[in-house]
Amino acid sequence: MSIAVLVMFVLLLINVNYLQGFAPASLATKPNNARAFEAQFQYQRGSIVTSDGVTIAESTPSSDVYKFQRKYPHGAEYAPVTGYDTLYSETGIEYYENSVLNGSDSSLTVRNFIDLLTGKPRKGANVTLTINSKAQNAAWNALAADSGGKPGAVVALNPQTGAILAMVSFPSYDPNALATHNSKQLIAADNALLRQAGNPLLNRAINFTWPPGSTFKIVTGSAYLSRNPASTPQTNVNSPTQLKLPQTTHVLTNNNGEVCGNGSGQAPLLTAFAQSCDTTFGSLGMTLTAPTLNNFAGLFGMNSKTLRIPMPVTQSNYVIPPSQALTAFSAIGQFSDTVTPLQEAMFAASIANGGKLMTPYLVKQVTASDLSTVDTHQPTQLSQAVSPAVATYLGQMMLAVVQDSDGTANAYNTAAVGFTMAGKTGTAQNGVNNTGLNDAVFTCYAPYDNPQIAVGVIIAGGGYGATAAAPIAVQVIKAYLASLGK
Amino acid sequence: MSSITAPAPALDPDGPLIPASRGRRRTELIMLVFGFALIAFAFANVGYTLKGKLPSAMVEYLGAFVVITVLAHVAVRRLAPWADPLLLPLAALLNGLGVVMTYRLAQQGNLLSAPLSSSATGIQVIYTVIGVGCFMAVLFLVREPRVLQRYTYTLGAVGLALLALPALLPASISEVAGAKIQIRLGSFTVQPEEFAKLALAVSFAGYLVAKRDVLALAGRRVLGIDLPRARDLGPILLIWAASLLLLVFESDIGTSALFMGLFVAMLYIATSRTSWLLLGFAMFVAGAFVASRLFGHVGERFDIWLHPFSGSNPSNNAYQLVQGLYGMASGGLLGKGLGGGQPYITPLVQSDLVFTAFGEELGLAGLMAILLIYGLIVQRGLRTAMSVKDPFSKLLAGGLSFMLALQVFVIVGGVTRLIPLTGITTPFLSQGGSSLVASWMLIALLIRISDTARRPPPRPIQEEGLTQVVTIQ
Repeated sequence: MSIAVLVMFVLLLINVNYLQGFAPASLATKPNNARAFEAQFQYQRGSIVTSDGVTIAESTPSSDVYKFQRKYPHGAEYAPVTGYDTLYSETGIEYYENSVLNGSDSSLTVRNFIDLLTGKPRKGANVTLTINSKAQNAAWNALAADSGGKPGAVVALNPQTGAILAMVSFPSYDPNALATHNSKQLIAADNALLRQAGNPLLNRAINFTWPPGSTFKIVTGSAYLSRNPASTPQTNVNSPTQLKLPQTTHVLTNNNGEVCGNGSGQAPLLTAFAQSCDTTFGSLGMTLTAPTLNNFAGLFGMNSKTLRIPMPVTQSNYVIPPSQALTAFSAIGQFSDTVTPLQEAMFAASIANGGKLMTPYLVKQVTASDLSTVDTHQPTQLSQAVSPAVATYLGQMMLAVVQDSDGTANAYNTAAVGFTMAGKTGTAQNGVNNTGLNDAVFTCYAPYDNPQIAVGVIIAGGGYGATAAAPIAVQVIKAYLASLGK
Repeated sequence: MSSITAPAPALDPDGPLIPASRGRRRTELIMLVFGFALIAFAFANVGYTLKGKLPSAMVEYLGAFVVITVLAHVAVRRLAPWADPLLLPLAALLNGLGVVMTYRLAQQGNLLSAPLSSSATGIQVIYTVIGVGCFMAVLFLVREPRVLQRYTYTLGAVGLALLALPALLPASISEVAGAKIQIRLGSFTVQPEEFAKLALAVSFAGYLVAKRDVLALAGRRVLGIDLPRARDLGPILLIWAASLLLLVFESDIGTSALFMGLFVAMLYIATSRTSWLLLGFAMFVAGAFVASRLFGHVGERFDIWLHPFSGSNPSNNAYQLVQGLYGMASGGLLGKGLGGGQPYITPLVQSDLVFTAFGEELGLAGLMAILLIYGLIVQRGLRTAMSVKDPFSKLLAGGLSFMLALQVFVIVGGVTRLIPLTGITTPFLSQGGSSLVASWMLIALLIRISDTARRPPPRPIQEEGLTQVVTIQ
């Protein structure tokens, strides 16, 4: 009997040892563990800073139930980047870099242990982003002011590395309201945001897609020049005023029925691109066939389910159309083509970087609380969208869009804006029977001879890409180049 | 015998015949004071952690506690001077820690789980006073353990009646958390099963002393195991049936296991036959298995035990168990310190899951200490059972000690997910009166038996003219 008692107590002692000695680490990550969750508020969470040193999220000492209060000094402007850190959940960088920000990441274990031994309070690691505060600020101001309150988003990339220089979505929200430690206030703020018109919580820069419109002609043009190695931007291509579509009575015309080139039915590719002739690219698309367009759309980063920056990016779609007629529409960025603003920036970035598309990323570096570097991001190549030669041709064509007198974005030539930009406008029809307001799209990079920045802009219902989207891109580029001292 | 004629112990030629030459009451007092120091320290710890100062009510609570336990010590001095010196201080220490934890849980809560009512600590101190009062009453009324043997069948009937009472009463006054185990009178509740345990332990002991020979000797040998005769199976079947009825009608697996375990263990002590042990264990497991299939409440407990983290369990059925585990995990090796954790997150942490609250705040170190305190009480009890000569007292002490061990095993094993969690109290630590009072009465019985066991035999009266006993070397 004593043995039975001994066995029972030994079993209890062993089990308690297991529970409190070995199991805590695995139990901490189990569902509903409010203690482990609240424990994170007792440590100072790491800050999120831009590449030029502007703090956009920080934890400051607080005197309420938790020791630290999360603050977002720039509120709505950076909300699509930082996300929020509430009592119950996180989004954005707060979520995807949570383990380093709260200090629980395995890469910080040794440092935490040393802190424990030396009696220093445990602190989360800081995350340095690729964002340039000047570009971000210019994009935010331009979007909030110039778009007249219309929803839209801007993404700027460094073409050589894929570093995201600006990521703005409008309308946005103030994450400070969600950082409250009062759960009732939190629920009220959350409900208010969910009810608010325009869906401010949606990050339109990477999680919403629109038709690319004529900016998709970059893909169609790339496919044509790649599949016809003898052609150049000066090669004459079929450019009728009206393009008859097979198996339908429908006719494809240019904007306002305009004539393409000199009206001869043939025009140099460069001219058709600069004037954004739908008949030319519709015709090229039918010749190239949908599978080819699909292939090149994929090389530019579309149809990817796996892109992460580290937030997951909504897939930009090229859907193979069921008919030749619809292939013509898909070649000019209509039909079922949809892209994120990030994808728009990636079109220009791959052309600017000699056809080499770099994987976009947002986290530049993770720095421990003792300022030692934990992790630095190394740029990686996503794909070789086109050959350097074709990229040069596309660059010339995009330059013509802005610099040629008949280019669609001629208003932003070097004389007007003070730097040399290459780009492509898009004005995407949408709505039932295309009755909705046109979405304004613009993709560009600058300076032309030494690309530093590629920008993608989409303004929902903005009208013409050249008038609604391009000026915003210009503001961002101007601010960024100024910050580089050029 | 006067002290003048009594020889000094060291010179006593019959020395080896006397098991303990003194009662060791001074040891008991020193240990008691040591316990008071620990409790006062724990109290102060809670106060400084939560409020940065000594708790204002500490003097009253601690004062009442010290007075009543010192009274108990005086009672032991008077009524059971030869008793084991550790039982009272160990029980008092656990009781004091329980009061401190009740105080701590009454001081702090959060939005979802309110703190215990501000009167909870005072009530727990009053229960302590009642419990220690009953302890003294038992010592006073039961001067000799053997007298209890007379009431074998009376106490058996009382025990079964107490057990059955809540099942017969309407759910409105007997149901708590899905189990019908209490009697509610206004704001005051009694859990009769706590007292039924004691009555039945005494009854079992009386019955088995009378019947143990026939239970031990008659029977056939099959596969090396002595099987009892079919007609001798009656009593064990009766208790088995009673425990299953308890399970079905009161949905109280923990208590049901406790009774079955108590009976089987006492049967084993009485007969020294392993077959009874195996038979009883097999019967309970089979019964519980069938019940788990037939009754949702029982099956649910098994599901919670086996899959606490899967599906919706962590937020629904297994919420309590899982939160208790999280609490213990957050305590780690050394704990958060009294007042430093968040034990209030766990539902019912003051009663069934109080062990996890200690785990969270005192850590692995504290839990090992608490388990060892229980282990020591059980060890003192079993030691008493081994040294007492009267077979009834032997059985009773063994049974009571084993029951205490089993209760600790069932609840601590339950909250640490060693076995399915069932709602029974943690002796001395849980908030609540019935369990505390019954636990003190159990300790009183053990002290009474240990007093008998350790009492030196009466010295032979040597008078001139009578034949003198001479030891020849």
